[in-house]
Formats: sequence, structure tokens, C-alpha cells
Amino acid sequence: MRRVVPAFALLLALASPGRAETPAERFRAAGEQLRGGDAVKAVATYRELAAAGVESASLYWNWAQAASARGETGEALWATLRAREIDPGDRALPREIQRLREAANLDPAEIAPEPLAALERASRRFHVGWLVVALAALSLASHAAVRLAPAHRWPAPTAWATLVLAGALGAVPLAGALARPTGVVVRGGAPLLDSASTTAHSIGSLRQAEVVPLLESSPDYVRVEDSSGARGWAHRDDVWPVEP
Amino acid sequence: MIRAARTWGWAAALVAAAALARADDATVRAEVDATRIGVADQVQLTVTIEGRSAELAGDIALPALKNLRVVGGPSVSQQISFVNGAMSQSRAYTYVLQPTAVGKAEIGALQVKLASGVKTTAPISIDVVSGSLGGRPARRPGDFEGLGEDPFESFFGRRRPAAEPKLKVVAAASRPKVHVGEPVLVTFFLYTQASITDIQLADAPQFAGFWAEDVEAPKGGPRGERVAFEGESYARFAILRKVLFPTKAGRLTIPPVKFRFGLARISLFDAGPRAVERATEPLTLTVDALPAEPGFAGAVGEFDVKASLDRDTVALGEAATLRFTVRGSGNLKWVDRPPDLSLAGAKVYPPQTKSDLKVGPEGITGSKTWEFVVVPETSGALSIPPLSFEYFAPSAGTLKRTQSAALTLQVHGAAAPAAAGPAAAPAAATASRATGLALRSDLDPPGRRLPVLGPRSVLVTLGVLLALHAVIGGAARLSDRRRLAAGRPASRQDVRGALGDLERVRRGRLGKEEAAALIERTLHGVFGAVTENGGPRGGEREQAIRDVLQQVQFIRYAPQLGDYSEAIRDVATRAADLVRKWA
Repeated sequence: MRRVVPAFALLLALASPGRAETPAERFRAAGEQLRGGDAVKAVATYRELAAAGVESASLYWNWAQAASARGETGEALWATLRAREIDPGDRALPREIQRLREAANLDPAEIAPEPLAALERASRRFHVGWLVVALAALSLASHAAVRLAPAHRWPAPTAWATLVLAGALGAVPLAGALARPTGVVVRGGAPLLDSASTTAHSIGSLRQAEVVPLLESSPDYVRVEDSSGARGWAHRDDVWPVEP
Repeated sequence: MIRAARTWGWAAALVAAAALARADDATVRAEVDATRIGVADQVQLTVTIEGRSAELAGDIALPALKNLRVVGGPSVSQQISFVNGAMSQSRAYTYVLQPTAVGKAEIGALQVKLASGVKTTAPISIDVVSGSLGGRPARRPGDFEGLGEDPFESFFGRRRPAAEPKLKVVAAASRPKVHVGEPVLVTFFLYTQASITDIQLADAPQFAGFWAEDVEAPKGGPRGERVAFEGESYARFAILRKVLFPTKAGRLTIPPVKFRFGLARISLFDAGPRAVERATEPLTLTVDALPAEPGFAGAVGEFDVKASLDRDTVALGEAATLRFTVRGSGNLKWVDRPPDLSLAGAKVYPPQTKSDLKVGPEGITGSKTWEFVVVPETSGALSIPPLSFEYFAPSAGTLKRTQSAALTLQVHGAAAPAAAGPAAAPAAATASRATGLALRSDLDPPGRRLPVLGPRSVLVTLGVLLALHAVIGGAARLSDRRRLAAGRPASRQDVRGALGDLERVRRGRLGKEEAAALIERTLHGVFGAVTENGGPRGGEREQAIRDVLQQVQFIRYAPQLGDYSEAIRDVATRAADLVRKWA
């Protein structure tokens, strides 16, 4: 009996109309809410979808639009950067990022503190990883051909050329992996604290929409470095990580 | 400090001018002590200003002097008299003039700028005769303030200094026991039996442990009163009033406050002190602590609160202003914490603070208003809960909480951007953006894109493939070694490759050294290292290989004196035959 009741409840829950609404439907409904001016509910829906594991550049794009409509420039920039992380090849995102940067009155360097991250994005955009694998496989095949078909002369240089090319291209994502994770300040004047505790003292404040490297993290705080080089702790509610 | 000095300047002026005469009553007189003098005599010109507003707006400028010159002065004397608690003032400027020649002398009309206006005196004519008319001594250095010798000194000898004026200052608190933040009025009284011309603070008063606020002096100047003090009759004036707000608990002492008083001369020959200093006694107050309650911002007094909205309905995206006003008497000036206001479904901007406060004897009275800009973000009825304000009521000795009424703001539709006012500019922008948002209609379909290969995967893949390269290369090399060690013929693929290489040599496209190296490498690759004295398994094969290799060596190191292509082709053909035969 104890097992039957939860199972029955689960069936009821699955059969309820709320469960029947797919992420795509909820996404469209949030868009309608946003067009109707209810940005709060739209953002809440986008947040729930993201929490449910829906990772889509369109989701974060609309989230950014909703946050921008509410005047939350930091949150809008964060959502746009998240969308770029998901789809680095989306051509609309760089324009939107520049618009938000100008709205926040920030320098280009203040939203791109990690130059190596651009390599990582480029490698994802152009699928450099798969290219490296393909070249390495071709190199391997050529090497095998050298052994299996010694009468042919092309396999040996092909094997070497593709191996060198694979190594060179493989350095791009590997260099990008050295970039530190970053976060976006979503609250204007968020305090920069001297320690990761509730009794910490403020040693400065962070600018809204500034992108800061995340140096360390604790359950509730992240250690960041702002564009002026000041290091301190910020609450996780104030600095949202860009990379998943 | 400057403000205090100014206050004291005004207070002194008001004390000095405490007569009840009207401002228009001020008069100016110019007089001389003689209108007929000898050319060796001197004449005194006295300009007297009398009245309540006897304050000069500038310096006295001497009139045009005809046949006269100034040899002394001006000396200034003031006299203050109290009549029925009010004060009148007389100020005299005395000049000593000397005729320059026999004849007519004249003092022109004198214009005196007073605070109440310009007063003009009539010209004075003087007859100057030769010699001296006697009894009018010429001025000598060291005379009594330029006004001649003390006439009584020749009769009574040098007079003794005047008696110490009867003058006291007393500080009095409105109550001896207060709470932290509770205002207490401290009044500094002057008890005097002498005429005062000036009052100044000798030292800046120290009110350690208190916030101090000046209380404005009453209009019309301080009013004196006749009181009995220490068995004598004195005129008493409140010369300074301060409202103090204790900032900490305990027994707090107001240290002595020292004043400097200027005294009026009783007569022209008065040699008494011109200024005296008096200090108050220390004043001790008992200050009780306030109850420590979370959320209590330290307001002390009696207050009432009110909240209001500037409109009842608002379009979605437009802004409304919520005003929260605290009105009452107490230490409202130092209450700066706004009420906590957080509304679900609305964005609340940090408030602006407006104050309308006035310092009075009871403390600071008036109101303080926090104005919040509220921008609803959802349509419907936006409920604004009651906002509370907690304060300590000294009369009850307990904390009290008062709160405003709950408010409701109706939010409807979307705002027209053109209708938004300046205060609602961000909200208007929100609304206009909401109508023109570039939204995407669908989520990206899953699996539409190639999954991203992370750097770790790339690294692992590269490592694996390099290892496979090594395995392939190593295995082939190992296999060759084993084959050669066992004396087994090369594999079919190796023979085919060797014949292909030799065929390339035979085609003659390679250079002399390159062709020789390839033939040598091919033979070694097929047959392994060839020993000088032959291997254990076949002398004929070894010998044939050695012959070909020697020919290859000859071609490789031969001087470039001719065309070796035929020789190379021949050697390649022989090598190919060897491979076909023995491999």
C-alpha cells in the first residue's frame, strides 16, 4: 500500500496539464508574456527552463531581452554571454553584447577580461576539436598506409603533414582551456568583500555588467578581480558565472 | 565655530541695543566744547549716536575741516541703559581738533551711515583768535585717553581701579535626566548689574557626548528680566541656547563655557576694566540608554507616520511615487534609515529623502519624507503593505511602533511611451522596448549542432592517435628486425615496395647521390645488413649483394665528371634482379 500511493500520485502528477506543457511551449508562452510587458513572469519562466536543463541560445537571448527591458543591464549581458557560450557562431550576439556594453558604459576590456577565452570560443565555433581528430585520424591512416602499401609514396608525407597540422590546431582549444572562468556583475554597486562570510567588510564595489574573472569559489561567495585589479569576495547572487 | 561667533555677535548687538526704542529713533549729534578758541587752544568735537539701532553701517568719515586739523581721536565711548527691561545705547566718538590760523574755522556737515539709514549733522562754525583764551590746555602726549587729565586726580590723587563689575553666567538644563537621543535645552543666562557692550565666547564650547544644535534667537532680541540672584537684584538675559542630543549613556558633563564681556564706561574718566571674562559652572546630566531592539533605528521623540501614492492607477511600465513621511518632534534629523520596502511584482528604486526640520527649544520638529519610485512590472492590483516606524517615546519610556495604512496601486495595460513623464523614463523605455523586442520564437532544436569537443577530449584524442602512430611504427620496425634476424625473406608488400623504389631509380628522375642512397636503403631494407665476409646462409647471395652495393658506393662517391644515368639504371636493374631472385 505504501508503494501504491506514491506511484498513484506520480501518475496523477504526470497526467496533470502543467506536466503536459513542453519546454518549447513554455518558452513561447514566456515570449508572449514578455511582449505583453510582463518581463518578470517571462524571466521567471526562462529561469525555470534553464534550471530544468534547457540549454539554448534562444532561451538566453530572450532572457537577455527581458532583463534589458527591466533595466537589468548586468543580467541582460550575462544572458547574452551565456547564449554566446552555447552558440558562438550566432551573429546577432556580438551586436547585442556591444549594445549592452555601451548601455553599461563599459570599456571593451571590461567585458572581456580573459583574452584566451576568445580562442576557446573560436575553437568551439569552428569545431576545431573535431578537425583535430579528423586530421589525427588521417595521419594515422596514412601511417598505416605507409606500412601496408609501401609501394606508394604519398602516405608518408601525408601522415607527417596531417600530424603536425593536428598538433598545431589542437593547441588552440588547449590554450583556450587555460582561460579563467568569468562571471558578470548583475547588481550595481555590489560590494567587494574582504572575506567570504556574512561579517565581511566591504572594501569596494563592483560595476554592474562588468565581467570579472572568478578566482576561487565557496558555497555562497566567489572571489573575483575587477578591472582595476582589486581582488575580493562577492556574493554569488551578485556575480553570475558565464561558463556552465 | 564661525556660526557660533556670528550668533554671539548678534547676541551682543542685541544686548547692547536692548532698549525698546524703535529703529527710527536713532539720532546723531555733532557738538564742540567751544565755538570761540585761541589759535593755541584745542577744541573737542563729539559725535554722539543714540538710539536702539545705533549700529554703524560703516566707519565715521570726518567732515570737511576748514582751518582745523585733527590732533587726536577718535576715542569711542558707549553707554547702555536699561529701562523697564529694555536697553538703549549711546555711542560717542570724540576728536581733538587744533586750529591752524586765526580767523574763521568750520566743521562741515557730518554724514553718518547707520543701519537704519543715513543721518546728517549741521555744520559748526568756530571763531579762532590769536593767542590762547586760557583754561584750554594744549594736548600733551600721555593725556587721559586724549581727553585731558583726570580733573579729580589733582584733588584726590590717582584714583583706585573701579570695583569688579557684578556679572555672572549660569548654564541651566531643561531637565537633569534624559535618554540617549532625547533633546535637552541648555540655556546660558547672563546675570548683570553692569552695562554690557559686547559678548563673545572666550573659548569654543565643548559638548563632548552630545550633538549640539543652536536655537534661533527670538525676534526682537533677547528680553531681559529683573530677578533676584544670590540676594541681589540682577538683570538676567538668556544669551545662548543650545539643544543637545546625548549620543551615549552615562553621566555626561558639559564643561564650563567661558564668555568675554565688554563693559561700557561709566564716564569719560572711568579707568575701570574694559572687558571681563566669566565662565559657567560644569553641568552634569544623567543619560539613560535606549532599549536595544533589532530594527530600531534610534529615533527618539514623538512621531506619526503617513504613506501616500501620487496616483491610484498606473499603466504597466509607468512609475508611481510612494511617499513615506515621519512627522513629529525629537531627533528626526539623525534618523536616516529608510523603511524597508520590497514589493513583489514591482521594482523599487532607492528613495530620495526630503526634510523640513526646524530646531526649537523642544528639539527638532518637522517632517522627513522618503520618496520611492515604484515601477510595477506586472499588471493587476499592486499591494503596498503598511510601512512601520519604530521610535522611543521618552514620555512613556518605551519603544513604540507606528505604521502607515496599506495602499493599493492599480496597474493596467502597457504604457504609451509618449505619455510617460520624466520620472518614468526608464519605465517608458521598458514599455517601448517590450513592444519592439526582437524575441526568438522557438528553442533551438536539440542535436541540431555538432556536439562540441572539449579541450580535454582533443587532448585525449591526440594522445591516443600519437600512441597508435607509435604502435604502428614500432610494430613495423620490430617485425623487420625479427625477419632479418631470422633470415626470412621480406614480406610481399616490402618486396613490392622495394621494386617500386628501384623502378623509380631506373626512371632516372633522381640525382646521383639520391639514387645511390635509395638503392642502398632498399637493399638493406630487404636483405638487412650485409656483412663483409658473408653470412652463414648463402655466399652467392651475399656476394651478389655486396657487388651491387660496391657499385652503388662507386656511383655515389664518384666525381661528377660525366653522365651516370646509364650506370645508375644498370645498378638499379641489377638490384631489382637481386630482389626478385633472393627476396
